[in-house]
Amino acid sequence: MKTQLELTAPLIQEEVIVHTPAKKVSAEPTPTLGQKLRPLLNSLQSFGYTLLGLGLMIGFWAWVSKITDNSLPGPVATWEVFKELVKDPFYDYGPNDKGIGLQLWSSLVRVFIGFGLGSLIAIPIGLLMGGNAFCRKVFYPIVQILRPVSPLAWFPIGLAVFANAGTATVFIIFITSLWPTLINTAFGVASIPDDHKHVAKAFGFSTWRYLTRILIPFSLPHIITGLRLSIGVAWLVIVAGEMLSGGMGIGFFVWDSWNALSLEKVISAILIIGFVGLFLDRLFTLIEKKVSYGK
Amino acid sequence: MNYLEIQNLEIAFPTPKGRYVAVTDINLTIGKGEIISIIGHSGCGKSTIMNAVGGMVRPTRGEITINGKPVKGPGPDRGIVFQHYSLLPWMSVYQNIFQAVDSVLSDKSKVEKKEIAEKYITMVGLAKHRDKLPSQISGGMKQRTAIARAFAINPDILLLDEPFGALDALTKGTMHLELLKLWNLDNRNKTIIMVTHDIEEAIFLSDRIVVMTDGPAATIREIEDVHLARPRHKKEIAHEPEYHQIRERLLELLMGKYSIADLKESA
Repeated sequence: MKTQLELTAPLIQEEVIVHTPAKKVSAEPTPTLGQKLRPLLNSLQSFGYTLLGLGLMIGFWAWVSKITDNSLPGPVATWEVFKELVKDPFYDYGPNDKGIGLQLWSSLVRVFIGFGLGSLIAIPIGLLMGGNAFCRKVFYPIVQILRPVSPLAWFPIGLAVFANAGTATVFIIFITSLWPTLINTAFGVASIPDDHKHVAKAFGFSTWRYLTRILIPFSLPHIITGLRLSIGVAWLVIVAGEMLSGGMGIGFFVWDSWNALSLEKVISAILIIGFVGLFLDRLFTLIEKKVSYGK
Repeated sequence: MNYLEIQNLEIAFPTPKGRYVAVTDINLTIGKGEIISIIGHSGCGKSTIMNAVGGMVRPTRGEITINGKPVKGPGPDRGIVFQHYSLLPWMSVYQNIFQAVDSVLSDKSKVEKKEIAEKYITMVGLAKHRDKLPSQISGGMKQRTAIARAFAINPDILLLDEPFGALDALTKGTMHLELLKLWNLDNRNKTIIMVTHDIEEAIFLSDRIVVMTDGPAATIREIEDVHLARPRHKKEIAHEPEYHQIRERLLELLMGKYSIADLKESA
């Protein structure tokens, strides 16, 4: 079953992450002071690398700004604007003038609604596709055709159906969130080892027991990986989506700042989008670690 | 006496290159409480016979009957210890055993089922490790968990597929004794069928040793009776003439050649 999925779906490979959780050692000797300090030193070291990288980036940015005669605003000018932006992030002076916090919040809400609905559809279909050859053969071609389509192409459909730009934006996030979750879930279920299936057979597991004690625990790490990839893409797409839909959201904020000719605001928004994206990824990585089991 | 009967058994699998006959013409009658070892080279269909008795594989010809009733699928009357232990890695030692008990002995109360699981964990000496995951325990402990799981559902027949293959010699010796201990505790009522590569292990544990021919289309080559009195003592039986006779015979059947010089001659 596994090989068949792999043969028909070379594209799956790039999105599948194999889970090999670190082996837990049961009995450890008492650590010496040096060993206790080791993690601290390691994190200090990686913090140092991060600072170096950021420093290089800011230096390059300042240089480009200088040679372009400040047509690209430099780090200092951007920092001044950034401080203004985050000083009062939640002000609301009517539909065209809202704080960046409110914009960000509205984007996050859209992402989570679209992502939530997408996951509710993607996980069950993924389970079916992974567990049942008939479902896989029926659904897989559909997935293959629709997956490479940029979610933005769905925007007009969303507009036509919902007659509302905000809902249409949620709709494209919904579409975006489907594929990675669906594919990873299907892969997870399809790769349940025969050993585990034999246990279920030999000890007469009921379907319910098989689902809850074997299928779900085995597939869960794969499902969470799918969710993590989904929310990553959703966060990419929301910015573009809101540039199209306008009205509200961090994407709209970027476009609005460009129209107001404030590249400082655009750059500030880019940094905020980056940090939020990093945070979302870390959040799901944390959940991934929680649900992965020792092998 | 005719408790488990295998008649004219043939098992074949369809492959892309055509039909592959794993075993053929297997005839074997096993009595209740007997310990039988199946021994042979890799790929001689030992595991296939086990899987057929376990009900995991359907015979393409012939029949397997237990108490006169044909085997139609897996059932709680047969407990299987798989070659690779096959514990569920996300469950503790206790849960691995309890889930099997809970599934098979569904007519018992929750308290009774918990007691059974606890009893067998203690029996294999894993009480201290009951809450550990399979990844946190040694190969020997995994093996004991798998054996406790198979015993806990109180099957009439135990099917052990190379159960001690991955263990070091010392652990292996201990596990042999533990297996016999469990068998004794049950008044030697359980029938045990075991697949092995290990000649000494087969002689020490079995009443009869089934030697297979090489596959494909493997069949029974010879059956050796082991009359050594029980309880057997590992060190003492090594001095018995019968032990040596059987060992010689098995070596001859399985190896044929004894030294590199023999190999050169035939080449």
